[in-house]
Amino acid sequence: MPEILENKEQLKVKDLIIRFYTYEGIVKAVEKARLQLRKGETLGIVGETGSGKSVTALTIMALTPSPGKIEGGDIYFKRGNGHIVNILKMNENELIRIRGKEISMIFQEPNAALDPLYKVGDQITEAIYAHRFKEVLRKAIQLLQKDLESANNSIGTRLELWVYNKMEKDPASKSISILRRLPIVKNIITRKLRQVVREEIIELLKLMEIPDPERVIDSYPHELSGGMQQRVIIAIALACSPTLLLADEPTTNLDVTVQAQIIDLIMRLKEKFGTSIIYITHDMGIIAEISDRVAVMYAGNVVEVAPVKELFKNPLHPYTKALLESIPRPGSPFKSIPGNIPNLVNPPSGCRFHPRCRYIMSICRHKIPELVKISEDHYVACFLYGGEVNGQHSDYSGSEEVLPDKRGTF
Amino acid sequence: MSTGLRTYVIRRLILLIPTLIGITILIFGITQLFDPVERASLYITNPKQARFAEEIIKKYGLDQPFYIQYFNWLSQVIQGNLGWSQSLHMPVLEALMTRFSATAELVLYSAPLIIILGIFLGKISAVKRNTAIDHMTRVIAIIGWSLPAFWLGIILLAVFYGGLGIFPPGRLSPWAEAMIRSGEFKVYTGLYTIDAILNLNWPIFVDALSHLVLPVITLTTINVALIMRVMRSSMLEQLSKTYIIAARARGLDEKTVIDRHASKNALIPVITLSGLLTAGLLSGMVITETIFEFKGIGYFAAHAATQLDIPAVLGFALFAGIIFVIANLIVDILYAYIDPRIKLG
Amino acid sequence: MKIKLNVEDSPRIKELKFTLKRIKETPLSLVGLAIIILFTIIAIAAPVLAPPRFGRDPYIIPRYGYFPEPQPPSPEHPFGTTEGQYDLYYGVIWGTRTAYRIGILVVSVSALIGIIIGSLAGYYKGIIDEVLMRLTDIILAFPGLILAMALVVAFGPGLNSITLALILVGWPTYARLIRGEFLRITSEDFVEAAKAIGCSDFRVIVKHILPNAIFPLLVVASLDIGAIVITAAALSFLGLGAPEGYADWGQLIALSRNWITGTADNPFAYWHTYTIPGLFLFFFVMGWNLLGDALRDILDPMIRRR
Repeated sequence: MPEILENKEQLKVKDLIIRFYTYEGIVKAVEKARLQLRKGETLGIVGETGSGKSVTALTIMALTPSPGKIEGGDIYFKRGNGHIVNILKMNENELIRIRGKEISMIFQEPNAALDPLYKVGDQITEAIYAHRFKEVLRKAIQLLQKDLESANNSIGTRLELWVYNKMEKDPASKSISILRRLPIVKNIITRKLRQVVREEIIELLKLMEIPDPERVIDSYPHELSGGMQQRVIIAIALACSPTLLLADEPTTNLDVTVQAQIIDLIMRLKEKFGTSIIYITHDMGIIAEISDRVAVMYAGNVVEVAPVKELFKNPLHPYTKALLESIPRPGSPFKSIPGNIPNLVNPPSGCRFHPRCRYIMSICRHKIPELVKISEDHYVACFLYGGEVNGQHSDYSGSEEVLPDKRGTF
Repeated sequence: MSTGLRTYVIRRLILLIPTLIGITILIFGITQLFDPVERASLYITNPKQARFAEEIIKKYGLDQPFYIQYFNWLSQVIQGNLGWSQSLHMPVLEALMTRFSATAELVLYSAPLIIILGIFLGKISAVKRNTAIDHMTRVIAIIGWSLPAFWLGIILLAVFYGGLGIFPPGRLSPWAEAMIRSGEFKVYTGLYTIDAILNLNWPIFVDALSHLVLPVITLTTINVALIMRVMRSSMLEQLSKTYIIAARARGLDEKTVIDRHASKNALIPVITLSGLLTAGLLSGMVITETIFEFKGIGYFAAHAATQLDIPAVLGFALFAGIIFVIANLIVDILYAYIDPRIKLG
Repeated sequence: MKIKLNVEDSPRIKELKFTLKRIKETPLSLVGLAIIILFTIIAIAAPVLAPPRFGRDPYIIPRYGYFPEPQPPSPEHPFGTTEGQYDLYYGVIWGTRTAYRIGILVVSVSALIGIIIGSLAGYYKGIIDEVLMRLTDIILAFPGLILAMALVVAFGPGLNSITLALILVGWPTYARLIRGEFLRITSEDFVEAAKAIGCSDFRVIVKHILPNAIFPLLVVASLDIGAIVITAAALSFLGLGAPEGYADWGQLIALSRNWITGTADNPFAYWHTYTIPGLFLFFFVMGWNLLGDALRDILDPMIRRR
């Protein structure tokens, strides 16, 4: 098998095309997007509403919301065991094992991401059971065996141990699953198990810097503040130690002070667990603070990718430049980007940004620019910098170097 | 019951009173459409008293202003005097009490069937949206809803009773009725199927059940659409919510996502509706009972209406209203109990 | 007929076009529409399809004798006769008119009353809202059929009583609906804006709020017609409505009650007496229900865009 992913790469999105089939027409939401994530780094994706960033994130987990359809492209992911898989070609059974375990997601509205009818502790338990049940079960068995060896030799303990052993040997056992449904019985036979899980959850919540985890575990989502809910969401996401975390604007709906806390938390957790993060936001300030590299998306295309310092110092794409200019600064006049986000049912021809671009050339209306390497690790999709070399399209994968034949003046 | 829930219940019980008063005012308002002599029958408990119409008019102030009459009437009602029914030859209240068990038996079998079937069909319809199953289920439900109850009943009777000779109208066959009247059979609840079990009398159980089949089918066919429709739209609403995507993002399999999360949330409005449906059934199966000659309160209300028996019809209406209001209350409390988001303070 | 959606149309036209487009695409709603059109034609063409006897009230079904036993279909009587020798064909044709009369009259008057009361309650809120909502609550506390029955007994049996009773029982549903829409819409900004530029209350209500509230109302109304016609037929069936011999589907079915079991050797000897008027009733109601159900799905904002 050819080397699809480089050594350092963990995720590669290649030529992703997503279209939404609505009654008003086909929305071409994501058009040949390319992204690359390296192990352990934080990739910031910045873009306005409608840039396709959220849809791309969901698609990385193969959870494209309907009526969206994936019409092309590949998403390569290197799993924890080193195997490389193509997410878009996997079946549901395999995907279930990846979601929540190797790739996790945290959401913009923490309140909406939790089931209002279940206590928070139960929802975290659910996530743990989904992927780490055997591990937890083993631990419970070990503890019970230790109990038996010590004075605690009651019938209840032995019964529980018997049940757990059966669960371990024969996970699909019908009689066990029936027992686990019976109202009072189920509480009795899972006592140790629940104890083990509860302790784990408390540790996890403490890690999330939640002051009183005992209270939070038994709370319903609506009883918690926004910041607390988001910590719970993060806890659920990290419960099974994923290698990749997708963060879809996790702080947009929170108060500014809480925002800072959550971002700090995420960064510290990343340090601790070594997780790679794809952080989606429209806030350039956050991007500057946390990203290692940044990808700029506009109207379904990735238009520029660069290390964060480089992007801020040397923005190349006209859209990126406009974005940076439009950050409000005290004292200077307010600058906005002229024009509107394009209608994606009938997107502009050629480069989708051309109606709003001040450097527009005639070619911009007819052809779509591809990502071109400008300097070490800095790529841009704009005809100002080439993007087309005699009909041969330039490949953004880090391995080739294509020298641009024109550098525009800025 | 937590204190929050307790205060909620008390609060709702107190709010119940103005509504009950309102109901009585409405019913009383309808009585005013009749002239005093006709209204006199609302106050008597014995047909012989009808001769003393003049005195009754004086006693209850039937020619007095509205509010005096209302209080007189209301005090009578509270004491249990709903008047005398000339079509049934007994006091209205007694008629209601004795006939209620028949209606209750019918509801006992219909309501759970309607609710369970409706939930099942609604869930499938939503999960397999826009597929053949979805369309089929919805068409069947609409057909059921469009069927006039009395027509469906007639067709069923014609086919099964007329054609096949099984599932006769009424509650019991004559021999069973004779046995009950003779005293060999002890009546505990008035619901013949239950009583038959308690009496360990298999033949009567089968007989009562066979009389229930057609009315229950009629009621179920017509009402399942209601529950199905709400369950379907409720499920669809839940399935598009963020927490469902989040649940999938955690690696939960689809079955768990649908059964443990979406369904539970979707059931909340359905439960409300089911409660109201049951209340509606308890108080209003006039047509079904009439067609099948099932002698519950609906049957006698219809009978009374055709005889223009005012106290009976109004008494029945009042009864129906009260049941409805109480059912609403129970449903609200149930709702508050189930959904942790409801603020009980 | 192609319906083109332009991004430049005003939002309201856009929504309307979208709704029509969706109706076209839902086969069930088209079936419902076809059924409704068919019945409408029958109702309008009644004098032609079943010419009334000269000088008599066309709604009284002509009798052909007094013999109780219903006669099966024959060339003179395409659908046969009922108990008492009323011509069934004539009865169901003119029964269509009766159904439409009652259905449309009750639904439009209830809706009108409901709009007025609901608008007042939803717009002015406060004490007016409280009082009016108490009133609707009390009426809605009764199952419709029961209350209607009581009213009809009070008014005296007859179709007019039924109509009046159903109106009185029906308006609260519309009032609640409109009020709910009002409460929802008045909390939106464009109402504040309209008021800020000085529109009078009445103007705001009619021009701005009502057009938005109309859609759910149409759904309820089309489903209601079916329910009303069934209820009216039920009341007639019980004997509280049209007199014997009147062209009313419920009444015709009532006449078949004694003949359900047929004769000793043929249980279905009199099938035409209950099947035919019942089928007319059933299809009429189903047509409206199909349309209303499809409309409801189309207009439901949750399901709309998918």
